[in-house]
Amino acid sequence: MGTLLPVGTKKGLFLLRGGDGNESWRVEGPVLPGWSVYHAIVDPRDGALYAATNNFFYGATVHRSDDLGETWERAEELGLAEESGLKLNATWHVEPGKDSELWLGGDPGVLFRSDDRGATWEVNRALLEHPTRENWQPGAGGMCCHSIQLVDGTMYVAISAAGAFRSEDGGENWTPINKEVAADFMPEKYPEVGQCVHKLLAHPARPGRLWQQNHCGVYRSDDRGDNWERLDGNGLPSDFGFGLALDPEDPDVAYVIPEESQEHHYTAEGRLGVYRTGDAGVSWQLAASGLPDRAWAAVLREGFAFDDGGLYFGTQSGSVWTSARGGGRWTEAARDLPPILSVEAAPV
Amino acid sequence: MAIVLLPAMLAAEAGGQKRFELQAMTVGEALRQLPIANLLFDESGELRRLINVFVDGVDARGGRLLDEPLRAESEVRVVGAIAGGEPDKWL
Repeated sequence: MGTLLPVGTKKGLFLLRGGDGNESWRVEGPVLPGWSVYHAIVDPRDGALYAATNNFFYGATVHRSDDLGETWERAEELGLAEESGLKLNATWHVEPGKDSELWLGGDPGVLFRSDDRGATWEVNRALLEHPTRENWQPGAGGMCCHSIQLVDGTMYVAISAAGAFRSEDGGENWTPINKEVAADFMPEKYPEVGQCVHKLLAHPARPGRLWQQNHCGVYRSDDRGDNWERLDGNGLPSDFGFGLALDPEDPDVAYVIPEESQEHHYTAEGRLGVYRTGDAGVSWQLAASGLPDRAWAAVLREGFAFDDGGLYFGTQSGSVWTSARGGGRWTEAARDLPPILSVEAAPV
Repeated sequence: MAIVLLPAMLAAEAGGQKRFELQAMTVGEALRQLPIANLLFDESGELRRLINVFVDGVDARGGRLLDEPLRAESEVRVVGAIAGGEPDKWL
């Protein structure tokens, strides 16, 4: 069993194939040249490769490949009805669901569902017409629905800058889950909605445990988002960042890559630093062996991935870094790619 | 038969075909027959803002655009607007 990393860039999708226990990597691509690939993922159900693709001229869509990038099908029906008064600005994240479900997050703060492997997409009306929508606002990357998590029958989405939401009924209703999550850029610092979540992950082995890297801090919840604890005062050089990764077997482990601040979107303290907690965020330690100690890099929200065997992230300066589980030693798997927008990992 | 010519990226999305011969009375009718029509038009059916169309070498945005009538053997060329260089958007 090897590892495949679909690496989305501003100029197409690259596929990195790990060999020798991921000690070496072969770079293939670009496929989908000309498309900005905000996210790409291999569906574990059938091996299909999906890409959330955007182009300056030709708009936002989704591509599917059933042969790992050799040939592609493009979505036939994807958009917002005219009566919504909204237009689809970008596709951000593809997430496999249960049975035939496939979910897609997009800008402006919208969620779509497909039951035909991405050919046609139906907008989630409950989120589109959410009563709090008038209090949402776009972040610097647009009003993107970028995090979609399904664990133990519960669904979570996060939107920048609308906050996080939970659904117990497959997306029929959405409850804001932003209590005690700061929105320092708002007149009211702890509103019901409007928080700028940068990435939200639910731990696959402990239902109810959520992590988020927010514009204003790093947080953990142990009760499905009803309450959040802020975690960035104990060893992190900054509360700001985008990428977030977990350990699939240990719910107390998480990784972040802090950035200097919202004004300076590069890594904190002039180094490329991954920080690890092994105690649920009580403390954080630098896990940067092998990473450059003088660097002003940036890792975007979809740019950090993990699986059973390792950790993987890509930078805006076109490098892909990988480590075995634990983050003990990093090696550069690829360099000089176009600016990297997303990294995922899949067994092949 | 009008001829429609596509740029490379759209041709790739059309299975590698860059030249189409179509029966159409107007530019809009021709473009909507293409297999990449949903890349040219948004969900409201509007031609995307940064797509230019030339009919027999003349910019259709300066004329009737989608309602521009086609002659037999008119050549319709689809071109992305000159809009590069803005770092966050395109470059």
